[in-house]
Amino acid sequence: MRYCQECKVSVNGDWLNCPLCHQPLEKVSEIPTPNPYPDIPLRFNKQQVLRILTSISIATISISLIIELFFLNSTRGLNIISFGIVSMWLVVLIIIRKRRNIAKSIVYLIISLSLLSIYWDYVEGWSAWSTTHAVPMICIFALIAMYIAVRLVKVEVEDYILYLLCAALIGLIPAVFLFFDWVTNPLPAWLSIGLSTVMLIVNFIFYRAEVLRELKKRMMV
Amino acid sequence: MKRKNWVRLDNASNIFLASMTDFDTKVFRLSATMEEAIDPILLQLALDKNFEAYPLYHSVLRRGVFWYYLEESDLKPQVLLDEQPPCSQLYHFDRKELLFRVVYYQNRIHLEVFHALSDGTGAMWFFEDLLSEYVLLQNDFISAETNKESSQSERAIEGAHTDSFIHHFRHKGQRTYAEAAQSSIRKLTGASKTAGKFALEYGKKAMRYEMTNQENKKKRKKVYQIKGKRTIDNRTHVVELNMSVQPVLKLAHEQNASLTIYLTALFIEAIQKTNPVVEDGMTIAVSVPVNLRKFYDSTSARNFFSTTHLEYTYEPSEETNLAVICKTLKEQLQQQLSPNSLETRLNKLIAYEFNPITRVIFRPVKDGILKVINYFNNRGLTFAMSNLGSVQLPQSIDDKVHQFYFQTSAVRPQFCVISHQDYLSICLNSPFVETTLYKQFVRDLTALGVPITISANRIDGLELRGEEE
Repeated sequence: MRYCQECKVSVNGDWLNCPLCHQPLEKVSEIPTPNPYPDIPLRFNKQQVLRILTSISIATISISLIIELFFLNSTRGLNIISFGIVSMWLVVLIIIRKRRNIAKSIVYLIISLSLLSIYWDYVEGWSAWSTTHAVPMICIFALIAMYIAVRLVKVEVEDYILYLLCAALIGLIPAVFLFFDWVTNPLPAWLSIGLSTVMLIVNFIFYRAEVLRELKKRMMV
Repeated sequence: MKRKNWVRLDNASNIFLASMTDFDTKVFRLSATMEEAIDPILLQLALDKNFEAYPLYHSVLRRGVFWYYLEESDLKPQVLLDEQPPCSQLYHFDRKELLFRVVYYQNRIHLEVFHALSDGTGAMWFFEDLLSEYVLLQNDFISAETNKESSQSERAIEGAHTDSFIHHFRHKGQRTYAEAAQSSIRKLTGASKTAGKFALEYGKKAMRYEMTNQENKKKRKKVYQIKGKRTIDNRTHVVELNMSVQPVLKLAHEQNASLTIYLTALFIEAIQKTNPVVEDGMTIAVSVPVNLRKFYDSTSARNFFSTTHLEYTYEPSEETNLAVICKTLKEQLQQQLSPNSLETRLNKLIAYEFNPITRVIFRPVKDGILKVINYFNNRGLTFAMSNLGSVQLPQSIDDKVHQFYFQTSAVRPQFCVISHQDYLSICLNSPFVETTLYKQFVRDLTALGVPITISANRIDGLELRGEEE
């Protein structure tokens, strides 16, 4: 047992200085009294990692900016690099934030990457590559990915079914592109619509009860 | 496939989710010291048994579109060695995990609970029954070891066992999940849709009343905020004080105050002494929760408390001493604990829960609104204190459990008080590294002749590597 003359308190544990006033402690008895609070090592420092990632991004952008402006005398590539970095951050953040729910993270990825590609296409002067190829392909492969992922990781039906449904519904959006003729080649859109329809029908046949129950639970007002 | 029961989380608990941050995890911890080092196997057995009787503790928290809801789960709690900082995060978004944990270290058993699940009093029931179960198992274990040949005495012990078992499990009624997990306010009002309408009407009146009341009070008070440097990895800084109840109680009675009021007043004085700026007209405001079960007949294990707001303003012209502060706080507390103001508060809570507008707002928006409300609440507070009072254990285990401790994660400096027999423990929690305020508080107490033993957790890298100066 140790004692602090300044604070007039006895101190448990092997402190050399008083935890309150940081003055050296006096030893009053040889019998050590253990500290009921174990020494727990510092945990992972989140802020530091974010700082590192941010500085990498900024460095990449500035280096490419210098190359573009002074060596290539154009700014076209700058767009591509900034979009690349934006997608990197988007994917990383979504994966980190939604890492405990695969199905949900895939839905978030479909939406954000689709919007990003449409915007990119628009900025680049609209050649309809996003609505023709990118969005339908993202939808198709996301659905396939989700199907594989929930089977591999053994997610319970109730935990992914609504997200699967969501992804399938998003997969129908290329129908809008077809309707307004925003595509140069109709095949990818039709593929996406076809796969989504199959998924919806399968869900309706096998998992109707689960879907309704989950909807009731989550939409409870 | 077994269908899982679920129940919507009430508004009162929603505020904890909205105000949860990395350093303020909204987790609180109840601890008890036993005679000997804890046997993790026996503790696990006791936990398994106790867990069965508490359906509420089977819950995991999920997110819906409009509300959070508690869902029954098949997860089983695991007793763990104390290897995380006190009151570490229990609920993570999208992760299915139980909202409590039982940890042990040396001769201490800790129960940590996420505040959206239950309050201190509710958790104390679970904890007491867990301790009873542990002590019973330990006795069984000892008797089995020593009295193997004498079957007679074994039967006698068994008899005692079943008796106390009935005694401890007072919550037998809460077998079904839905009932156990229901909001305590709804339970109290036996709420139906009509009750909701009534409550809404009352709530509106109450809000109007409260509004005018607040407008009257609004004389642009400057509430003092304690500032400091955050701990490196957001852990809660704990300094635990152990003392005898009697001397402190005597001091409180000398000031004609309760223990809660007296300690709060002492803390206010400590703040004023360490921060001289307070002296010219600054207000020190403190939030003190009160257990509503004391006023309303409820055995709900869910959150069922209200907070009172006490404050003291230092006027440069007036002379202040402990007695004056005690008197002011006492008057404020009595006013707020009057049946009238409690009723108002409760009606307001029910009204929020049944309000058709709050019901259709999307959950993330609701969270945002609650965050803003919480921010302004925090701005109006200097510190917080919580007193769980004196723990009364059943006779059979009373002398096996020595001392209780109670602490919570903290967004600002605060202290938690609990006592058992003649032991009083005060846990000072704070998200900051600095100890100036604690030092003042402790020195004030020791100067009054109260012998104190302290324990503290190590919070920075240097301390942890043993490189103290």
